Amino acid sequence: MNDTGIQITDVGVRFPSPKGTVTAVENVTQHIPGGSFVSIVGPSGCGKSTLLAVIAGLQKPTSGGVRVHGREVTGPDRHIGFVFQEDSTLPWRNVEENVRFAMQMGGTPRAEQQRRAQEAIDLVGLSGFEHSYPSMLSGGMRQRVALARTLALEPNVVLMDEPFAALDQQTRIFLGAEVRQIWSRTHQTVVFVTHDIGEAILLSQQVWVMSYRPGTIIDVIDVDLPEQRDASIVSTHEFNELHNRIWTSLQAESMRGFQQEEMSA
Amino acid sequence: MSASASAPRLRLDPRQPAVSVAGTTLVVLALGLLLELGGRAEWWDVIPPLSAMFQGVAGLVGDAQFWSDAYRTGLEVAVSLVFGSVFGLLAGITFWKLPAVGRAFEPYLVALYAVPLALFYPFMIVLVGINVWSVILLATAMAAIPMALNTAVGLASMRPVYTKLGRSLNLSPRQMLFAVALPAAGPYLVAGLRMALVYSLIGCVAMEFVTAQAGLGYRIRYLYEIFDDTGMYAYILVVLLISVALTVLLGLVERLILRGRISW
Amino acid sequence: MVSTSSLTIARSRISPLPKIALTRNTVGPVVLAAAVLLLWQISSGLVFVIPSPAATVQELFANLADPQYRTDLAVTAGATVRAFVVGAGIGFVLGLLVGFSDWAKALLEPLLVAFNGLPKIVLYPILLQMFSLGGGKVAMGILFALFPVFVNVATGVRELPPVYWKLALSTRASRWQRLVHIVLPGIRKPLLTGIRLSVSLAMSGVVLSEFFATDRGLGRVVLQAFSHAEYATMVATLVLLIVTSFVISVALWNLEKKIR
Repeated sequence: MNDTGIQITDVGVRFPSPKGTVTAVENVTQHIPGGSFVSIVGPSGCGKSTLLAVIAGLQKPTSGGVRVHGREVTGPDRHIGFVFQEDSTLPWRNVEENVRFAMQMGGTPRAEQQRRAQEAIDLVGLSGFEHSYPSMLSGGMRQRVALARTLALEPNVVLMDEPFAALDQQTRIFLGAEVRQIWSRTHQTVVFVTHDIGEAILLSQQVWVMSYRPGTIIDVIDVDLPEQRDASIVSTHEFNELHNRIWTSLQAESMRGFQQEEMSA
Repeated sequence: MSASASAPRLRLDPRQPAVSVAGTTLVVLALGLLLELGGRAEWWDVIPPLSAMFQGVAGLVGDAQFWSDAYRTGLEVAVSLVFGSVFGLLAGITFWKLPAVGRAFEPYLVALYAVPLALFYPFMIVLVGINVWSVILLATAMAAIPMALNTAVGLASMRPVYTKLGRSLNLSPRQMLFAVALPAAGPYLVAGLRMALVYSLIGCVAMEFVTAQAGLGYRIRYLYEIFDDTGMYAYILVVLLISVALTVLLGLVERLILRGRISW
Repeated sequence: MVSTSSLTIARSRISPLPKIALTRNTVGPVVLAAAVLLLWQISSGLVFVIPSPAATVQELFANLADPQYRTDLAVTAGATVRAFVVGAGIGFVLGLLVGFSDWAKALLEPLLVAFNGLPKIVLYPILLQMFSLGGGKVAMGILFALFPVFVNVATGVRELPPVYWKLALSTRASRWQRLVHIVLPGIRKPLLTGIRLSVSLAMSGVVLSEFFATDRGLGRVVLQAFSHAEYATMVATLVLLIVTSFVISVALWNLEKKIR
């Protein structure tokens, strides 16, 4: 048994629905070494967010289980950070208070809160904005606040559920690069869910491809690109090969997804 | 900005607050002038000239009776506001936490929102007598209703991501309520409070108007019945001024509390 | 960009219409009503002045059989209807005006917001002197009924998605067409809310005026019953008023909920 990292064992999630049981996730067994960056791509509705929720302890699996850092996941945990897709900044608190929020709720002493908050704010590149309110910030900046809040807790694991989906293309690329940078400094274990293949390849060391419902991992691709990457890497041969390989797997699943949705509509 | 060859158009932007305030002040002054001139020229014998009314108001300042009445009304409003908003807040929170209870009360709250419970006043007097308490009890109920409705709506409108955030951080129900839900509902709570104050004021004065022992509403009625027109108008004007002042004050307080949340 | 004053008005529009997702559940309200009735029955046994529900209903029927009472009822009802129609009508026109014209909004809105916060009933003596007993209460009812429709229509027009206006432009709709085919359907929800509130407020304005001074009307009946210690009649009439207002409000509210 590995003490660091995430061990997912035979996880399955089934929901009752008016049309019968829906299997969102089925038979997922994977191991993520501590400190690595893994992305999960898949068609919309395939269950990747559900799988992430199981790892986070926000969703109870109907079968199987997850161990994080050797401990079984039974519910939400402050050592497992989660960044949501929607803007989760609290509008009545300024940036600094937002970043301190999680620590405050957890009972961290005030001085410690302020120190760690400042560190996190600097880390995500929001220095100078400590007293601004979210209403004055762009979508991308607000997601950075959410990230800072998560990082300030110094979690072992950071889970991100399509964090940039609501942002425009330019911001996505920019923030993606920043996340990669931050990870290369903190080396936390990161699981990143996205539907953007390019983003997955650019950011991670390993990409899992998930099938449409019932969601299971149909391919695991190691990203053999240099550690130091920047946006120019998208034009390299290696990048395109990876992209094609993932897209081929994904394409069939996406079509299946479309057809299923149309039939049930 | 293009310069036109024909007559230059007014460049004032009506959407700017300064323009609005200035314009409204002008309108008010114009109406005031009309009232003044009309009164003096005796175009109508019902309303005295504005200056006479203001003189009356000025006279009230030194009048102990006025202050006693104002105190009475003020007391009724203050007590009913405090209790009404607290009950309303608690009720709203209950409706949010226990949706079944909320559904049971909802039609009544919605229907009673527009019916001034002041109609029950005669009955309240029978039960409790003609005193502060009959007014306060009803005014409390009148203030509680908009507060309860607004609280419930505000809490229900909370963005789902906040609930998810709370769960991911393992917040206790208390933390969830005080650190997330109530602040999230902030604008609604403040609006509810404003409405509670307005309804309380309107209710108290209306009830005193019907029958009471003292208070500004009562005094207006009394002066009407003894045909003291000047006195009556002075009191009416005072009540108008007080409510306008309160509305403006509340607007400012609301802005202050919600600073940062509204994007300018 | 949102200015505080329109935000203020927007808030007073939002509040009467709870967005609580409801299942069609009449069980709760009915249970609550039953509980209230039970409480009423119990307290009528304990406190002398409170008539029992049964006695109240009996008295109500006795009253309705009395032609004098029916005249009072007709007077109040007639005044309410007139006040509502005129008040809502004026409110509607003013609402459109403030909704469409930035200048009208700049000049009128603060005045009307201030006016909304005052105990309008204190103006009744003035209205009495101007319009005499019959007209005075209608005038008062008009003032009460005007505001909900005004506020809701004004906010409704201003909150119409900008794309509607672009649609009007691109289809080159005339002013009238814009009003009838785009604006009115677009604001039907807030308009209905405003109408619902307006009906109740019209009645309240009229009855409160009758409490103060009038020749005929249910308000007068209530006060007279009060002074003669005829509590059954008093309560019966109050219940009649409240229940009527309640039934109309709930009916309109259910209609609102169906509109999507």
